[in-house]
Amino acid sequence: MNKKSEITPEGIVEYFKNQFGDKVIDFRVEKRKIGVKKNEQKMVWFRVERSVFKDAVKHLLDLQFPHLSVVSGNDVGENIELIYHFTVNYGEHLREIPVNISVEVPKNDLKIPTICDLIPGALVTEREKQEMFGINVEGIPDSRRMFLPDDFPENVYPWRKDEKGIPEKMVKKLWEEKK
Amino acid sequence: MMLILRLLILPVILAVFSIFMGLIYKSVDRKLAAHMQARIGPPLRQPFRDVRKLFIKENIVPENAVAWIYNLTPVLSLTAAVSILLYIPIGSITILSGYGDLILILYLLMIPALGMIAGGFASGSPYATVGAQREMVMLMSYEFPLAITVISIVWKLSTTYVLTDAFSLTTLAKYPVWEAVGPVGFIGLAILLLTLLVVTPAELSKIPFDAPEAETEIAGGLLAEYSGRNLAMFYLSDAVKTVAMAGIVVALFFPYNISVFFNLPTTIGIIVDILFFLLKVLIIITVCVTFVRVAAARLKIDQVAYTYFIQLTLFGLIGLVLIVLDTILPVLTG
Amino acid sequence: MKYTLPIGPIHPALKEPIMFEFEIEGEKIVNVDIKPGHNHRGIEWAGMRRNPIQIIYLAERICGICSASHPFAFCMAVENATDISVPDRAEYLRVIVAELERIHSHLLWAGVAAHELGFDSVLYLTWRVREKVMDILEYLTGNRVNYAMYMIGGIRRDITDKQIPKVKEALNYYKGLLEKLGNIFLKDPTIRMRTRNVGVLTKEDALKLCAVGPTARASGVKKDVRQDYPYAAYADLDVKAITPDILAGKVVGDVYDRIIVRLLEIKQSVEIIEECLKNMPSGEIMSEPKIPKLLINLKKAVGEGIGRHEAPRGEVFHYVKLDGKETPYTWKARAPTYNNLLAWIPMLVGEQIADIPIVAASTDPCIACTDRVAVIRGNKKNILTKEILHKMCVEKTRRLMK
Repeated sequence: MNKKSEITPEGIVEYFKNQFGDKVIDFRVEKRKIGVKKNEQKMVWFRVERSVFKDAVKHLLDLQFPHLSVVSGNDVGENIELIYHFTVNYGEHLREIPVNISVEVPKNDLKIPTICDLIPGALVTEREKQEMFGINVEGIPDSRRMFLPDDFPENVYPWRKDEKGIPEKMVKKLWEEKK
Repeated sequence: MMLILRLLILPVILAVFSIFMGLIYKSVDRKLAAHMQARIGPPLRQPFRDVRKLFIKENIVPENAVAWIYNLTPVLSLTAAVSILLYIPIGSITILSGYGDLILILYLLMIPALGMIAGGFASGSPYATVGAQREMVMLMSYEFPLAITVISIVWKLSTTYVLTDAFSLTTLAKYPVWEAVGPVGFIGLAILLLTLLVVTPAELSKIPFDAPEAETEIAGGLLAEYSGRNLAMFYLSDAVKTVAMAGIVVALFFPYNISVFFNLPTTIGIIVDILFFLLKVLIIITVCVTFVRVAAARLKIDQVAYTYFIQLTLFGLIGLVLIVLDTILPVLTG
Repeated sequence: MKYTLPIGPIHPALKEPIMFEFEIEGEKIVNVDIKPGHNHRGIEWAGMRRNPIQIIYLAERICGICSASHPFAFCMAVENATDISVPDRAEYLRVIVAELERIHSHLLWAGVAAHELGFDSVLYLTWRVREKVMDILEYLTGNRVNYAMYMIGGIRRDITDKQIPKVKEALNYYKGLLEKLGNIFLKDPTIRMRTRNVGVLTKEDALKLCAVGPTARASGVKKDVRQDYPYAAYADLDVKAITPDILAGKVVGDVYDRIIVRLLEIKQSVEIIEECLKNMPSGEIMSEPKIPKLLINLKKAVGEGIGRHEAPRGEVFHYVKLDGKETPYTWKARAPTYNNLLAWIPMLVGEQIADIPIVAASTDPCIACTDRVAVIRGNKKNILTKEILHKMCVEKTRRLMK
């Protein structure tokens, strides 16, 4: 399971199912054909529960040190769903497999452990999620604001679609402004 | 009467003339550099327009600057640069010929640089501080090869012809140093000429040795906070220093006057000599400043210090040793 | 004695605003603090209120030099989410435009790097050479930057047989020029003095900090989206990640290695374009040529998708979630410089001040791409709130006057 050429999408799914049982939900392996020669492109999506999230990431690191592209997020009503986009198996033609792990964080308990100690490159994207969603990332080494200015009002989280999102009065509609 | 003429009127004429010629050389340098870079470059009147624009602009003194030093140093630089030209033979005339010699010129050469350093430190901005520190390091570095060159030539002259005022520039003009050396000394002199030509871009803060005024690194360095009239005076002092430094190189190594060859009457002879001097200065500027500026990138300050302290000093010392050998050898073998 | 030197947000060394704060002892850098956010424009939020076709226009304007990369990745993300299949000819044409952009971007970078070193002659010469590829792009697409070629399901303009000879002539011009460029950059002694062993990023650091693009490849990490996870026509070509040991024999991970990687990539791009022109399949260029019909299809679509593209600076990543409404539910665009921000820190500590511009420029930062990252429903930072306050003030006065 640890050799590069043996990592397949189904193998990854098996690997996680073996370790975490039913805490890993919603599997999806997508395959697409591309180009004139119709080679295949594969992708793995699944969801883990928050309690085993950090262990799941550690498990992935045991397989192979992944490349973290970014963390994207959705506001789905009562929870905030964070999707961690990893990729494993770089280095050979047609071999890389994106592994997308999503975690749901309830809005009344906005905490998630940091993975900066495992993957230092996650600092930038975790800081961004902190300021955009209001999530408290536990253990993050540097929790200043990343992209928003320092005098941006507190408790306004731009990516939320509920009452804590950007209020209408902060939006400037240029077509309604009079010169 | 003659003294009043020499002390008051001629320096004024000289100042105007040197500023004018300095700006013309600057424009020729820019035009040549542009053609070497496959561009067209600015028209020849451009530096004059630049100076006029700078004089019109507002003179801002930053809040935490030491105002009196800040405003004094540009004037100091400009006057020191112009006064160097009082002592260099331009063609066949030297304005204050009996009153100063090479040692004075070496001191005067340092003053514009010191002025810029003081101005940089007095600006009160971190960029200017960094630039001033670099300028200090560079000043210390290039003085050594410069001193070696000057002393070797003077020593050679004073031992070959028994002279009392070997440092004086008229003496150098009367006895060109190339005729005083044998073959070994010729090589030594060539080495010394090369050393002096490499010192020139550092003296004038041009690429590859313009670390103090690096535009992309420290936003203009020393001159970052200067604007308006002060900046115009620094600009002019840079132009005049170019003429002065090239004039020193010419006076040390190529003090020939062509009017002697053609036996022209005195007034025309003077004018022809001045033109010949200007031509020699132009050639030196093209070789030392323009070619080097276009062909190399900027060196870091520690690389600059290494180049001058170690490599050029050794080079100059070899030249000095060869010149000494040239004097001693006939005595030993002969 | 330590002092703090701020560089930025506006500085001649930086092409775009970003704030660095260096703690310096003498001339040596001890610590670096990076504060981005000055170019933040709220593009993702603006995108979430528009339909996917309007988002393509937004994505083009994220950055001027990466103008073909962001729409490419976005279109791939939407096609992933909705299973629209792209015709073969369009795949090849997309690759040609992307590779032309890569040549243009690397030549621009080469000139900028020379300018940071103080070597203005090379800046002028390199940018003059770049004019040729801009001419070809204008000939094929109609504009020198912001090509507006990509559309969901294909590409908007075709290359006719009349245009191909001119493209081939430009490619031959570049092939003859690469020797000279290599000589200027790689054999010049002053450039070598300034860039060898400066700004070193070790292989472990590059892997741990998730660096992408030529920055990572110059440290020996063979990561290239065109090789690992091919898309469009790259699946048929055999593109290999370029690392400096191809030319220099060893990998040091300094600025000189990054110059090598980028120059070799220009050569690789020329070869890829030639391959594509040779093997171009025929057919149509859009899966759905009528845009209103495409829009109706997209409005009904549900799904989430990822698009990754190898821009000149690294991996561009777009994530789209559609849920059957006119506007997408989520759009996340991540530019390559986002990941390379952290890589600046180990590169800069221990260097001199004079090295800051060339090290910062060697990763080819595109801050415009990075900062628009987050959705901000407030558009431009302070300016907005000041005006809103003023407006509220005026309104209160009016109220009091009544």
